[in-house]
Amino acid sequence: MKMTKFLMAMIAAAVMGFSTQAVASGGGAHLEHANVDTTDQEQIRRGLTVFTDVCMGCHSAKYLTYRGLMAYPEIGLTREEVDELRGEKSLMSGMISDLSIEDAVVSYGKAPPDLSLIVPGRRGGADYVYSLLTAYEHDPEGKVPDGNWNKVFPGNRIAMPDPLSWLDHDAADEAELRQQAEDVAAFLTLVGDPHQNTRRAIGCWVMGFLILLTLVLWRLKVEVWKDVKKH
Amino acid sequence: MKTQLFAWIDKRTGAEAIIKSQLTEYPAPKNLNYMWNFGSLALLVLVLQILTGIFLVMYYKPSAEATFGGFTVAFDSVERIMRDVNFGWLIRYMHAVGASMFFVVVYMHIGRGLYYGSFKSPRELLWIIGVVILLIMQGAAFFGYLLPWGQMSFWGATVITNLFGAIPVLGEYIGQLLVGGFAVGDPTLNRFFSLHYLFPLLLAAIVGGHIHALHVVHSNNPEGIDLHKPEEQIPFHPYYTIKDAFGVAFFLLFYCYIVFFNPQMGGYFIEVDNYVPANNLQTPAHIAPVWYLTPWYTILRSFESKLLGVAAMGASLAILFVLPFLCRSAVRSARYRPVYKIMVIMFFVDVIVLGYCGHSAPTATLKVVGQIATAYYFLFFVALPFLPKFEKTKPLPEGI
Repeated sequence: MKMTKFLMAMIAAAVMGFSTQAVASGGGAHLEHANVDTTDQEQIRRGLTVFTDVCMGCHSAKYLTYRGLMAYPEIGLTREEVDELRGEKSLMSGMISDLSIEDAVVSYGKAPPDLSLIVPGRRGGADYVYSLLTAYEHDPEGKVPDGNWNKVFPGNRIAMPDPLSWLDHDAADEAELRQQAEDVAAFLTLVGDPHQNTRRAIGCWVMGFLILLTLVLWRLKVEVWKDVKKH
Repeated sequence: MKTQLFAWIDKRTGAEAIIKSQLTEYPAPKNLNYMWNFGSLALLVLVLQILTGIFLVMYYKPSAEATFGGFTVAFDSVERIMRDVNFGWLIRYMHAVGASMFFVVVYMHIGRGLYYGSFKSPRELLWIIGVVILLIMQGAAFFGYLLPWGQMSFWGATVITNLFGAIPVLGEYIGQLLVGGFAVGDPTLNRFFSLHYLFPLLLAAIVGGHIHALHVVHSNNPEGIDLHKPEEQIPFHPYYTIKDAFGVAFFLLFYCYIVFFNPQMGGYFIEVDNYVPANNLQTPAHIAPVWYLTPWYTILRSFESKLLGVAAMGASLAILFVLPFLCRSAVRSARYRPVYKIMVIMFFVDVIVLGYCGHSAPTATLKVVGQIATAYYFLFFVALPFLPKFEKTKPLPEGI
């Protein structure tokens, strides 16, 4: 009953034009540009490694199957490599974290979001993922424990504790950490829309054809209309 | 010329006479400009939407049952289409982009009608059928938007279906009837899916009526005058068939560019929040409908009272039905009506301003801007009957 009332209040607020949540309250931090190239197999594979070594400790990517790691040419693992990664899991199973959602809620207070659609599902996409991973800082007010204060995350307090150990890094590590963040952003960009390279490749042919077709039909139109007298 | 097969069919259907009168020999004004292309484009997009929709439905499952990771069967089935169905990504992007493009061409089509007075006598009924088409389109778009069961689907549907609660006495009951429960849920998804499939079929039938009505009263033209001399008219085929074909190719350039290179269109055509599965415990930061419904959303938000807002939104669409009777000038085209020309151009700008206000997060300034724009929206219609009293129209040409 309480829930219904709460929902009604939220809806009323949204309808009447003053949403209770501030919009994009993410500290207004500027997102850094990530150089991602979804056709670069090297980068995608490095991103896969970061994903399986770090992210998959908590997060899943349920729409990416182990079979997909072989089927998508941008990843292009061999059957042996995939077998090693998946262990006992089925080839058709998604990349599910070994940490159960219940345990994650106990440890971190909330369920880690599935990362299959994290890039299309966030404003800024790959830039957001990259910036978030490299935006851990000490809370200027000292209220949020170290590793949970993030200048890019809306509200600044994030449940995910600094996955790449960005806070503890020294200047010598920075380039490598940035590289890792960028690679995993590239990998997740591909996972968010796995046929995007095919789509663009076909799109070039389609556009080429349509430009020719438009030109031909335009000339034909001019030709047919020649005998209509202008007033 | 006739093949035996066609002769056989013609004898039983009168196909030849229909084709001649409605297409090949149908007389059209010779001076139609490119604004007259959008009707055929709207028909093209409707056909594309129905075809792609039929194929999507072969894989889509309308169920809000939960699956792993906070997703649902419906959301999963959409992702399956995007990932595992052969060219599923193409069909789905064509459908999602097509929804927005449908409104682009239809709004252009309506704007053309407004500017050149195509709604005026004898085309009143043609216009009214057109407004029915618009309303059904908006309904279909709204129902379809729920189906992926993302965050924006869920909250958009929640906000809109809750509007019915503003209706006195019966409101809550109507809302529950529509939603199939006390809140948007699995029954809502099922009935919206059913209606999303039904409405385009209604649309196809009513579009037939729209085209029939057009072919009875014949096309208006940029000068907005009646044609009397035969040399002012040309047969639809080949002149307008080739012109429409060129228009179609030109339109497809834009459509395919978006489908293949920018299907989300910066979050305008497929919203970012809709890639997040529906969560009834967490509202998105800012709930707004897709761009093609935002002008009406602004009108809704411009009133403090929810009931007034709903009434105004309804009125803003309903007033389109009586437009032919509000506009009393004998001259059709804005070319020869200096005051109306300024008013109608301001009206177009006004609708864009309304759309912008509805899409943006609400601020105090935007609220005032939205209210002024709402006022002008209605003022435009209310002023029309009084316009002939002081507007000095320019002399109409004898012919085209």
